Amino acid sequence: LGGDALLPAPQSISILSTNMKHFLTWSPVIIQGATVRYSVEFQGEYEREHAAGSWIPIPECSLTTATLCNLTQDISGSVPYRLRVRAQLGTASSPWGTAEGFFTRAMTSLTPPLLRVLAHGHHLLVELPDMGPSFQFRVLYWRKGQESRVQQKVLREVSSVLHLGSMEAGAEYCVKAQTHVQAINRSSSFSPTQCVRAQGDTSL
Amino acid sequence: LSTAEIRAGFTAIKAKIQSRDPIRSLSILNHPQSLHKVKSSDRCCITHQLFTFYVDKVFKHCRTEDSFVNRKISSIANSFLSARRKLGQCREQNNCVCGEESTEKFKQILANYEGLNVTSAAMKSLGELDILLDWMEKSR
Amino acid sequence: SGELYCSLPNPRNVHFESINMKNVLHWSAPEGTGDGVFYKVKYAVYGVGKWIRKPECRNINRTWCDLSSETSDYEEQYYASVKAFLNGTCSEWMETTRFNPLTDTKIDPPMVSVSSTDRSISIILTAPEKWKSSPEEESISLLQVYPGLQYNVSVLNKRTKKRWFFSISNNTLVVPWLEPGTAYCVSAQIHVTTPILDSGFSK
Repeated sequence: LGGDALLPAPQSISILSTNMKHFLTWSPVIIQGATVRYSVEFQGEYEREHAAGSWIPIPECSLTTATLCNLTQDISGSVPYRLRVRAQLGTASSPWGTAEGFFTRAMTSLTPPLLRVLAHGHHLLVELPDMGPSFQFRVLYWRKGQESRVQQKVLREVSSVLHLGSMEAGAEYCVKAQTHVQAINRSSSFSPTQCVRAQGDTSL
Repeated sequence: LSTAEIRAGFTAIKAKIQSRDPIRSLSILNHPQSLHKVKSSDRCCITHQLFTFYVDKVFKHCRTEDSFVNRKISSIANSFLSARRKLGQCREQNNCVCGEESTEKFKQILANYEGLNVTSAAMKSLGELDILLDWMEKSR
Repeated sequence: SGELYCSLPNPRNVHFESINMKNVLHWSAPEGTGDGVFYKVKYAVYGVGKWIRKPECRNINRTWCDLSSETSDYEEQYYASVKAFLNGTCSEWMETTRFNPLTDTKIDPPMVSVSSTDRSISIILTAPEKWKSSPEEESISLLQVYPGLQYNVSVLNKRTKKRWFFSISNNTLVVPWLEPGTAYCVSAQIHVTTPILDSGFSK
């Protein structure tokens, strides 16, 4: 294959972002009997406005055969980014294919957290996944039937079984949670509500 | 204004950046007058001025041959842009008045910066990011 | 000062070890030197030109020097340097990297005091104090140094082996409705979100 013109730019370039994990994907460039490689670069608002429109390569996604690149470490703040990828075969490089429009972290989709609610005797506890330092969890809990007296806890680092509060004997308590990302000031929807019953007889 | 991400980015390259600054006897931000001596009423204004200083004068002169360092600088720079935009909103609501003291302090910072050649001054300023972050977080 | 030709190998791994801002300079002896090596220490405040000698660490044969007094202002940053001497020869001065007491210190776990009734325990946590040069000096709690300081508390039911975690900002915690006659083990950790600093868990 000689010269750049014959190697087409990657197509269907898009960004998949869920829970503050951002990936660039594209369709493979098919050249019979050859292994095509790809290189990815990014450009934040800073590079566009203050660094002469420069682009920054991502070594982990340079000359890769994968059609996926993890951008998470490189996308910061709440500024718009542009992403591009090109194909390479030997010394030949395709034109750059640039993802349409801009990407900011605020565009990530936030899913409700996987929540596990436990009752240990009179104690109401939850287990939440570790979703990384960007995430906080807003946990709401109430005694069943007293929906007007909802209590809230905001939890940051979650390592295992977290204590929410104590329960009256025999009473049923319900819990739901949502994630909150301070950096983009957005929250997920709530997880399905789960209820557990405290040990002992219901007090009159 | 969450400084945690900026702090994490800086911590990852602190040793590499500070090792490129051999001048121990000069500080851009903290001498002769310490940043910590700035009155609280002037904090918002001097923070905005410093964010502009870093965006306009510092980051662009810190490119290195190390791609990891360059990526972290880009991450910090774009975080600064976001943070400056938030501070800009304070300025619009007139909550960010520049008093005489912060104007004087910022002049001194620029004088310190201009006292060195641009690459040394930029690398030294970048190496002092923890001084800025310590000050911002301390008086939150 | 009797320093002849400096051909001695340099002290190695010159660095600060800091706990609760007790800042001690440590180093390793020059390669291949046995006993009889002596050292000098100096330090400098970053941004100020002068190196300052530490008299108490002049001609010492140990490989550490307590610079806590000299580096107690945590709004400043510091360098320190060590030079070795043996049989009339000497080494180069070997420097630390820039030392920031605020971010480069380690924090001890909090002090935990527990009292109990038959069905509850009350926990009081006390953050460690910043190092001070004498008992008469005013105590500064690390809570004042790190405004965002929080506590993670672990309560282990020794019978069921179930462990619960509490994340609290104030320093007291009451855990009611416990099982009478059951042993509970309490342990606590300090967590500072920025700069990121975590103590170990208390015993």
